[in-house]
Amino acid sequence: MGLLSYFRSARPKSAQVAKERLQILVAHERQMRDAPSYLPQMQRELLAVIRKYVHVNDDAISIQMEQDDNHEILEVNIVLPEDGAGRTKTPELRGN
Amino acid sequence: MARIIVVTSGKGGVGKTTTAASLAMGLALRGNRTAVIDFDVGLRNLDLIMGCERRVVYDFVNVINQEAHLRQALIRDKRCEDLYILPASQTRDKEALTKEGVGRVLEEMSEEFDYVICDSPAGIEKGAFLAMYYADDAIVVSNPEVSSVRDADRMIGILSSKSRRAELGEEPIKEHLLLTRYDPKRVERGEMLSVDDVLEILALPLLGVIPESQAVLNASNEGIPVILDEKSNAGQAYRDAVARYLGEDLPQRFIRPERKGLIGRLFGG
Amino acid sequence: MPIVRLRSTDMMTVAAQLRRSVERAPEFFRRAPVVIDVSALPDEAEINLAYLLGQLQQMGMIPVALRGGGPALRELAAAQRLALLADAPVPETRVTETSSPPPPPSPPPPSKAMLVTQPVRSGQRIYARGSDLVVLAAVGYGAEIMADGHIHVYGTLRGRALAGVHGDKGCRIFCRDLQAELVSIAGHYRISEDLDEAVRGRTVQVYMRDTALIIEAF
Ligand SMILES: Nc1ncnc2c1ncn2[C@@H]1O[C@H](COP(=O)(O)OP(=O)(O)OP(=O)(O)O)[C@@H](O)[C@H]1O
Ligand SMILES: [Mg+2]
Repeated sequence: MGLLSYFRSARPKSAQVAKERLQILVAHERQMRDAPSYLPQMQRELLAVIRKYVHVNDDAISIQMEQDDNHEILEVNIVLPEDGAGRTKTPELRGN
Repeated sequence: MARIIVVTSGKGGVGKTTTAASLAMGLALRGNRTAVIDFDVGLRNLDLIMGCERRVVYDFVNVINQEAHLRQALIRDKRCEDLYILPASQTRDKEALTKEGVGRVLEEMSEEFDYVICDSPAGIEKGAFLAMYYADDAIVVSNPEVSSVRDADRMIGILSSKSRRAELGEEPIKEHLLLTRYDPKRVERGEMLSVDDVLEILALPLLGVIPESQAVLNASNEGIPVILDEKSNAGQAYRDAVARYLGEDLPQRFIRPERKGLIGRLFGG
Repeated sequence: MPIVRLRSTDMMTVAAQLRRSVERAPEFFRRAPVVIDVSALPDEAEINLAYLLGQLQQMGMIPVALRGGGPALRELAAAQRLALLADAPVPETRVTETSSPPPPPSPPPPSKAMLVTQPVRSGQRIYARGSDLVVLAAVGYGAEIMADGHIHVYGTLRGRALAGVHGDKGCRIFCRDLQAELVSIAGHYRISEDLDEAVRGRTVQVYMRDTALIIEAF
């Protein structure tokens, strides 16, 4: 049993990968679905304004909308490039 | 008043028509007056799966356009007298369906039937929209595979926001998940999403798991809903799903591989 | 004379439905005088007559008369110079595939048959208006061929064939290999399941004798 499961787990299971990808994707799409319809447009316009001053990538802005019972929170995150633009992102943000 | 059930998925080819045919037959076999409508205008298939393709005279679009009466277009199943089929038109396209027209026909059918099952076309365009718009229940069909699960999720969003019930602020459509073409062996090997994986992502009550089965292909070749093949796993799984839909509490079968004997296990890999 | 029979007061829906009928047989409606029949609706029904007249004219039809309707509507119609007909039904021409309206008042000029040399595929629909139809290739399952006159199919006929769709019972269907889903003459039809095994796959002609549809192998 031990030996068998050793061999079996040697390779990441594609189903496991599939599940993780789906979880991220679906969460993202649900968020888009529930978001007010003006968000994408607002995101594009904000990006255009910022680009007048700093050079940023398309994914530099993330907008989150959170809803409580009686109020909504609009959270805008803007990632500005560090001096040496083109540096890779910190590795600990990726993977697990 | 009939309950209107849509069988939907978003993604194509996941087993909607197979499911609609078996569900309709299953409900009718239990004495419910049941009709099943093919909403796949332009690509009709339900008549073939139900084995009534040689008896089509009028179709759903004719009824919507009032070129034929409902009772002229409904085809009575030869195996079960409580079951009727309303075929799709092959020579029109989905634009021939209108919200008012579909509503009118469903209303008329509601008076005569206990259940009206709408076999949705794939996609999220007009045909799929109209198939789900008037529904009371939705059976969301998915395969244990990424694109199909993702599309199912999309469809669930549409059901809860774009249906008539949602528009009128009524109690939402009751949704059920049906996982089809499930292959327990591949799940065990980690090559296919498991029931639990899919449930975790979609978070819908599970109506059933239909195993991948050669019997489905054989049944559609012969124009017999697979639920009538009582010996097959898929047929039994559909029977269980119908029973669960009607409120019975049954354990899931067919979600673990069938065990071979010890020898088979040692040498079969 | 074609009759537009209103069953709904929603003129948008009515216009959309009409448009679909007209698309199916545009020639049939071009410059056709039509009667608007509201006798199926209650007298007090509110009908936007001006809109309907506009739509009909846009589709190429010429509204000439109103049948039924309450006093208010009839007054409006009179102001639009429509003839007012009594509620009693007049002979009508309906435009569905299988109805059998009376023949047109004067015999249409002889016209050449429509010739189709390519296979007719599932989902396609061909209509030979005012003439015979000759198909040299096969007609697939789920395809539909229609003619006001006779139909000849030299390939295998697997789809539907409807001859004499405007009610001419003298029309016939001739085909080399009969495997049709449906054959119809002037609205009298036979579906695949009811085909006699003796004629299936044979070279046949289909015609009307009195009120019976006869399928006869050569
Ligand atoms: N449990 C099953 N085991 C094996 N094959 C299956 C199973 N369920 C469906 N199939 C096969 O999958 C194919 C698609 O099935 P079906 O036509 O029911 O899907 P659909 O969702 O209605 O497709 P569409 O989106 O085109 O309408 C068919 O060939 C069918 O035989
Ligand atoms: Mg289908």
